[in-house]
Amino acid sequence: MFERILLASHGTKGAIAAENMAVQVCARGAVIDHLIVVPEFWQSMTGDDWLNNGATRDQFCEYLQSELGLEIDQQCDRLHQKITAHELTYSSIILFGKPDDALLQREKAYAYDLLVLGSSRPKGTPGLQGLHSSMLTKKMMQAIQTALLIAPYPSDE
Amino acid sequence: MIYTQRNPALLIIGLLMLAIWFSTDTGLLAPLLEYLASGKEYKYLNELTSLPLYFGLVAVFTGLWHWLGTHKEGHLDYYFSTIAGGMLILFITMLVRWFIAPQIEVIGVDFGEIGDTGKYIHELLGLNYVVLGIVAGIIIANVFKIPEWAKNGVRLSRLGLKTGVILLGALYSAAELKNLGGLSIFMIGFFVLGSVGIVLWIGARRNISNSMGGVLSAGMGVCGVSATVAVAPVVQAKPVEIAYTIGTILLWGVGCMFLFPIIGHLLNMSYVQFGAWAGTGILNSAQVAGAAMAFQPDGIETLMVAEIFNITRVLILPVIVLWLAVWYVKREGTTTTQVNVGRIVITKFPVFVLGFMLMFALSTTGIFAPASHYQGKYFGNTAEQGFKQEHLLKPEQIQILQLEARVIERTDHIAALERLIENGKIMSVEDDNTVRGMINAQILSDQANRILTAAHKAVRHTAQKIEAFRQWITWLFAFGLVGLGMQITVSSMKQAGGEPAIIGGIVGFIKAALSLIVVMLLVSEAV
Repeated sequence: MFERILLASHGTKGAIAAENMAVQVCARGAVIDHLIVVPEFWQSMTGDDWLNNGATRDQFCEYLQSELGLEIDQQCDRLHQKITAHELTYSSIILFGKPDDALLQREKAYAYDLLVLGSSRPKGTPGLQGLHSSMLTKKMMQAIQTALLIAPYPSDE
Repeated sequence: MIYTQRNPALLIIGLLMLAIWFSTDTGLLAPLLEYLASGKEYKYLNELTSLPLYFGLVAVFTGLWHWLGTHKEGHLDYYFSTIAGGMLILFITMLVRWFIAPQIEVIGVDFGEIGDTGKYIHELLGLNYVVLGIVAGIIIANVFKIPEWAKNGVRLSRLGLKTGVILLGALYSAAELKNLGGLSIFMIGFFVLGSVGIVLWIGARRNISNSMGGVLSAGMGVCGVSATVAVAPVVQAKPVEIAYTIGTILLWGVGCMFLFPIIGHLLNMSYVQFGAWAGTGILNSAQVAGAAMAFQPDGIETLMVAEIFNITRVLILPVIVLWLAVWYVKREGTTTTQVNVGRIVITKFPVFVLGFMLMFALSTTGIFAPASHYQGKYFGNTAEQGFKQEHLLKPEQIQILQLEARVIERTDHIAALERLIENGKIMSVEDDNTVRGMINAQILSDQANRILTAAHKAVRHTAQKIEAFRQWITWLFAFGLVGLGMQITVSSMKQAGGEPAIIGGIVGFIKAALSLIVVMLLVSEAV
């Protein structure tokens, strides 16, 4: 059983499977660090808007930031409740950047016993490309130093 | 925060610009330029002997200060920090315009004309300095990443486009603005309202959320990413909906920017027709300017038409934002959200359009060119007025015109042609207009038409101030578009998907196809 786990989840179907698996493999009273990565593509989302004035662009950026913050808060609250219900300790880590880089950065900074991730979304499954499939990269697989558990993608049945 | 970065990059860019100027000035580049000109006169020689010198000096001095100077926090620091990115964009534009695009042209010409189109592959594909510049920008942003020292400048490149639009205002005649304005209000009104309506209608049938429908309809209907940015907070769109919409629009916009000029050339569309089509059919307003310049890289007539359509779109934007705000509040049945009409109209009003109007108003006073000039051009068939003796018709050209004159039926055409043959040049503005009419009507053979076109060009001269405006406008748009290219990321486009991709595909295709049909049927070749 593991004492300190880094769990990456943004509340998608695959990530929820990873959450369930993480709570199963934890030792009693273990700590689960919940990693949420805000993908960097958001930074370039207004890239080629040239007609609006600065005020409109600022309003959009503030709005987008608050909406993303709201979504993250909802995910954290949901998982917090789920984890504490299993008498485990929850903490959240929010990073901005490339998902695989962010995971590696966190993994290097703390001594985790296990990393838990959901599997890549099967092709044709709806959802934002930037949110789902960019954590399980070759680069991450080659650089990782901690044991890794990948939860199978849940079947529809 | 101090924005200016201690980095030698700007200094290096400046030195490279000066090296280009020096190599041209001393003739070191002459063999290369001769090769790129493919037997003709290298058309950018004037630019090569001036622009890299002026901008190179600015970059060297500013670069030294960036690298070795002491920087303090403040507005001035931010604005100075943008020079590095601005110079990077300018340098890329220079390389593409002066060397890369001519090289592609050489390859295209070597390849030979494509079928019976009478065009080379680079002309058909629109591979000119504008498109190549945007592609270069996209490649740099996505493969090499924008360096930190250049980011602020790249972000400010949109000012190039806005300034270009403002300067464009000086080039329209009142009649052109009236005719183009009327046409654009009709086309944009019909297609914008139509697209917004269709998206909302399809959205309701496919059970997408009101916020998704609202943001998507604005993006698809009005001006793409700009409309999405303006509407998203008003209809309370979710981040995932925003990402889907912007991804879809960018993908469509970039695709259309490459596809529209190819179709335009294949259909032999006039500048007015293509400008009207691009201005209506391309979803994203940034790519409208790109497509217009890709269609006509060595002139701004298409851009002038397309930008009127862009301006009409952006003027409609506050109305659409208002409409969607009211629509959203009604659909959601929310009483907590108030629609502040005045605030929406004021904050969404594009201030740069006032600059465009001001320039137009100034041009009507004759400050830039006398009232007798049309589009900054004037008639002159004497040496004092700028006519060159070598442009007089040659005996073999006169012979061709004499032979073909027999097929002409209209008496005014016959009279104008007789005077041209007799004098070797066009003798009056009226004759010039008649000759232009004959060229457009394609009464004579291609060979004779080429002779008439040359005779027409020989007596049409551009006022110096207007020529300078045209040059500046071309550079400002090229600069702005390369900068915008550097802000288009593949990761943003990859987000295209879900319902917006389906609805966007349907509406985008209908809009492009229908507007093409309307333009071909209703828009004449000239305004």
